[in-house]
Amino acid sequence: MPTADSYQEAIRRTLTLRSEAPPDASAVAEATLQTWHRMADELVPVIGSHGADVLFGRSLYITSIHFPWLAIVGEHRNSTAQLANLKARLADRETDTAAEASYTLLVTFVELLISLIGESLTERLLAPVWVQRLPASEQESET
Amino acid sequence: MNNKVTIRRLHTGVPGLDAILGGGLPEFSFNLIVGPPGSGKTTLAHQIMFASATPENPALFFTVFGEPPLKMLRYQQQFSFFNLDRINESIRFVNLSDDAATGNYEQVLVRITQEVETSSPALVFVDSFRSIMQENRRQPTGTISQQQFINQLGIQLSYWQATTFLIGEFVSGGDPHPVLTVADGILSLEQSVYRNSMVRKIQVLKMRGQETRPGMHTFRITSNGVEIFPAALILGDTGVPETSVSLRSKVRLTTGVPGLDDMLGGGLPSGYSLLVAGPSGSGKTILATAFLAEGVRRGEPGVIVAFEQTPSQSWVRTLDDMIRAGQIGLINTRSLDLSIDEIVQHLTELIHKMKATRVVIDSLSGFELAVAPAFREDFRESLFRMFVVLSNLGVTVLMTSELEDRYIDLRFSPYGSAFLTDAIIVQRYIEVESRLRRVMAVVKVRASVHSTEIRLFNITDDGIVIGDPVLDYEGILGGQPTRVKVSNPVKGGTP
Repeated sequence: MPTADSYQEAIRRTLTLRSEAPPDASAVAEATLQTWHRMADELVPVIGSHGADVLFGRSLYITSIHFPWLAIVGEHRNSTAQLANLKARLADRETDTAAEASYTLLVTFVELLISLIGESLTERLLAPVWVQRLPASEQESET
Repeated sequence: MNNKVTIRRLHTGVPGLDAILGGGLPEFSFNLIVGPPGSGKTTLAHQIMFASATPENPALFFTVFGEPPLKMLRYQQQFSFFNLDRINESIRFVNLSDDAATGNYEQVLVRITQEVETSSPALVFVDSFRSIMQENRRQPTGTISQQQFINQLGIQLSYWQATTFLIGEFVSGGDPHPVLTVADGILSLEQSVYRNSMVRKIQVLKMRGQETRPGMHTFRITSNGVEIFPAALILGDTGVPETSVSLRSKVRLTTGVPGLDDMLGGGLPSGYSLLVAGPSGSGKTILATAFLAEGVRRGEPGVIVAFEQTPSQSWVRTLDDMIRAGQIGLINTRSLDLSIDEIVQHLTELIHKMKATRVVIDSLSGFELAVAPAFREDFRESLFRMFVVLSNLGVTVLMTSELEDRYIDLRFSPYGSAFLTDAIIVQRYIEVESRLRRVMAVVKVRASVHSTEIRLFNITDDGIVIGDPVLDYEGILGGQPTRVKVSNPVKGGTP
């Protein structure tokens, strides 16, 4: 990363850039799942798919306190079905609401991971997931 | 020409481990780290890994069963050796619990093989293997058994030029597990709880091709990880006579107590161990302090191992001042779960650091109390080992020992350690004219003449002042001396 970047910013940027512009709810849903799969790619080799699924389930539960319409998603035991359900529910919402729920879900997941293994290690493990911020020089030349 | 294979030894980075392994781990060896839950297996493995892994010699850590990797990462981070920068740079964690959960060891083996082929690690860790034995019961038919799995794993990894570690519990009793035969090295860890203290021990059960330090060695787990205190090595019969006592004793040290040197026959022979035994308050610590202060005065640095509470008196301030000025090294411990080897380790380091020639252990009684109950049974044996180590270092040792005044027998030490020491001074109280008086006598100075007088002494602010010999009394050791008529008392010590 060019400079220190908070995980919240990284998640926001990644979700925005992975959704098509102008984004609609289904693009947000697609970007959310894509990002989750990338996170799982990095985490499963280290903590196992079961560990990753349990953490994701917990994140969904916590997120559904603010977004009750996500609650039902957590009831699925099978992670594939759970993800399909999440995607459908996100796609069903207003774009802004979907984007906010998706952002909250991923931030919650990362915070949960940080609470267990610390910020440094979490950053280290998840760094490849985030869409990189453009270096300042390129941002300037674009404007 | 010598065509024998040369085995490189890897430094483990764990304090004390290389010493008990006989110089480090043989490269490309297949090792087991075994022990019950909580004995420190994973910590030891991590510490070796973080110390040894580099981008050129990377490490792979497979978690198969055992503790969930998230928990492992969470807790192992608390140790100072856990360097986050190494993760995914020279250390990679690989979780195989998904494959292992099905009991399909063939698949686990395939995954390990793939990972090893991809990254050609120099170090491979597989955590943990007793779980595999248990998982064996759920094993689907048609796949390899866990025993075959471990054997194949060991063979494959050896051929990939990697130093490998299998971490797991070890079920004692019954037949030894075949993997114990396959392994090149076995490190066995255990923790024993006895009374109110817990003691950790490590043993090298096997290490092919090199001489290891036998026996159990105590270790501690602190925020820096594992630190092992190798048990002092007592060399067997070398066929070479020991340096004779008369040679060792040519140089004599002054004790710093006026008159005492004469009693000792001209000072304490250098390299000797002196036991000062006496009841509580008789002045043992004061004598020890004088011994150290005299060393400082003569440019002979000293070290004190203190187990006693020291009240604030003028001579204690002397000791404190010397410690603060860096003239005296201090090992002060109130811990109650020490091993003698741990003290010996610290003491040896401090002696080397200070270039000390005088050592005081105050007192053996406090020492015994500080040693974990589990070691008390072997206290005498451990003391012997400590004496040998200190004697090899060439330092002169003064030990104090609290001794109950008994007027029916003559004892010098509650540990039977009297015979281990080269010189003995005994202090006692006697009753003279309804007052308690202190007396001191030199009981033994090996291979030297010494005074046999029993001398009165006083403790003043300046230290110990030795007085006249008690010539006009008899039955002193009985505690109640009776006056005898002496025509012309002789003053001063005569051997």
